[in-house]
Amino acid sequence: MSPRPTPSPTPRGARTHRRQPRSRLRGWARHHRLMCQDSAWRLFRAPVGSLLTMLAIAIALVLPAALWLTLDSAQLLDAELEESATLTVYLAAQVEEAQAVRIDEALAAHEGVANTRLITAAEGMAEFQQALGLTDALGSLDTNPLPASIVVTPREPEPQAMRVLGESLEQVNGVDEVRLDLAWVERLRHLGELGRRVALALGVLFGGGVLLVVGNTIRLAVESRRQEIEVVTLIGATHAFVRRPFLYSGAWYGLGGGLIAWGLLALGGEWLAAPVATLAASYGASFSLPHLGPGGSAILVGCSILLGWLGAWIAVSRHLASIRPR
Amino acid sequence: MIDFEHVGKRYGGRFEALANIDFRVRRGEMVFLTGHSGAGKSSLLRLIMRLERPSRGRVLVAGHDIARLHASQVPFYRRQIGVVFQDHQLLFDRSIYHNVALPLDIQGVEPREAARRVRAALDKVGLLHREKALPIELSGGEQQRVGIARAVVNKPSLLLADEPTGNLDPQLSADIMTLFEDFNRIGTTVMIASHDLALIARLHHRILRLRDGRLVADEVAA
Repeated sequence: MSPRPTPSPTPRGARTHRRQPRSRLRGWARHHRLMCQDSAWRLFRAPVGSLLTMLAIAIALVLPAALWLTLDSAQLLDAELEESATLTVYLAAQVEEAQAVRIDEALAAHEGVANTRLITAAEGMAEFQQALGLTDALGSLDTNPLPASIVVTPREPEPQAMRVLGESLEQVNGVDEVRLDLAWVERLRHLGELGRRVALALGVLFGGGVLLVVGNTIRLAVESRRQEIEVVTLIGATHAFVRRPFLYSGAWYGLGGGLIAWGLLALGGEWLAAPVATLAASYGASFSLPHLGPGGSAILVGCSILLGWLGAWIAVSRHLASIRPR
Repeated sequence: MIDFEHVGKRYGGRFEALANIDFRVRRGEMVFLTGHSGAGKSSLLRLIMRLERPSRGRVLVAGHDIARLHASQVPFYRRQIGVVFQDHQLLFDRSIYHNVALPLDIQGVEPREAARRVRAALDKVGLLHREKALPIELSGGEQQRVGIARAVVNKPSLLLADEPTGNLDPQLSADIMTLFEDFNRIGTTVMIASHDLALIARLHHRILRLRDGRLVADEVAA
């Protein structure tokens, strides 16, 4: 009836229970070490089964990881394209060059503008001639029909922000028209968003798959050690004590699966590298497949270990409730 | 040491395993619990081990109402009780030594200290020379002695035994009971459930007799 946490039937019992905290901590650490070794040893004693479980985990991890990598590189591309997103401001035809320079300065001072580049009417003509190779035909014109223009790079390459900026620039005196081509930026954006969502959904699904694979393996392990669990529970083992070896098994499975997944990704990257390079070269671009850096590898293996541990935890906890000493 | 205050236990709301059980066991006593099978002996022991809670009344061990223990405290409570099972509940995948060391492993006792206590317990039951053997290599009587060594390795103040001589011949049974008497002599409270009436009668200890879940006699064998 006393509020003390642990009743002690005898002075002797009390003494064993109130051991030095340091010695209890050492005992706890020792059990962790022992269980870590023991669970690894159990995996080694059943190599085929362990390897199959790890392979299943690896395969479940490879697909979302590969998609993640691809998206990562697409995002790089996306960022590059957004950097080149600009507005073209056409000045009215009667604007003189000196006035154009003033307008250019005014636009550059606008808060939404990162920088500007003035293309005078003459420069525009030169560019046009060069691009089209129409030197003769255009040279025969008496007057330059092209207006001066200013290429504006916005501070924020967001489509909505660019639209607002375009409208505000159109109000500037001497500006005839503002053109912005946003369709491709938006399309790419939507594609990227779609890809990210698909990757996330796949990641969640396959992560769930890893939980199931590990959970099922651990469930069988728990079942095969049912008597041991009953006995240690009867003589005073805590849930944490009973759970510990299985959690380590789950973490080991996760580590093995993560490493195999890493190996598969590296192998796949190696295998695809040559055709991708050839393909990119044919477009006159240099593009290489992204690969997991040290950080990405750590995240992959870490997630795998965490999933293994979590799967084991769920399986053991569900099972412990059903194992009651007879 | 053990106080039963008008304890009743029902299973599934209908079957009444124990009804109005009221007795007290003093510290250092040795008590037999007897009755035909199904009389409620095991249910009573399960209540003391806090594997179950009474439906009615209170069970006090060392003055504590054990029904009030929080689930997280129950393991620590059980560490203070030594239990011997009829089927010994040894783990067959490890040696005698590691079976006996199990309660100490659970408590994180240091290996050197654990080894000392395991050997002392095995010595007491006369099996020190078999510490490296596997349980399967031992006879039924020896296995039961290993079970007893495991129950006492932690020096519990309360020792419970459920039909410890269930499968043994009379001579071995008598040896086992002598072992329990030895532990009782050094101050351990001992409670043994047994239906071996002839054996119990010869030992001159207090006997609690159960019939159909009721305590029908509380006497000392003449």
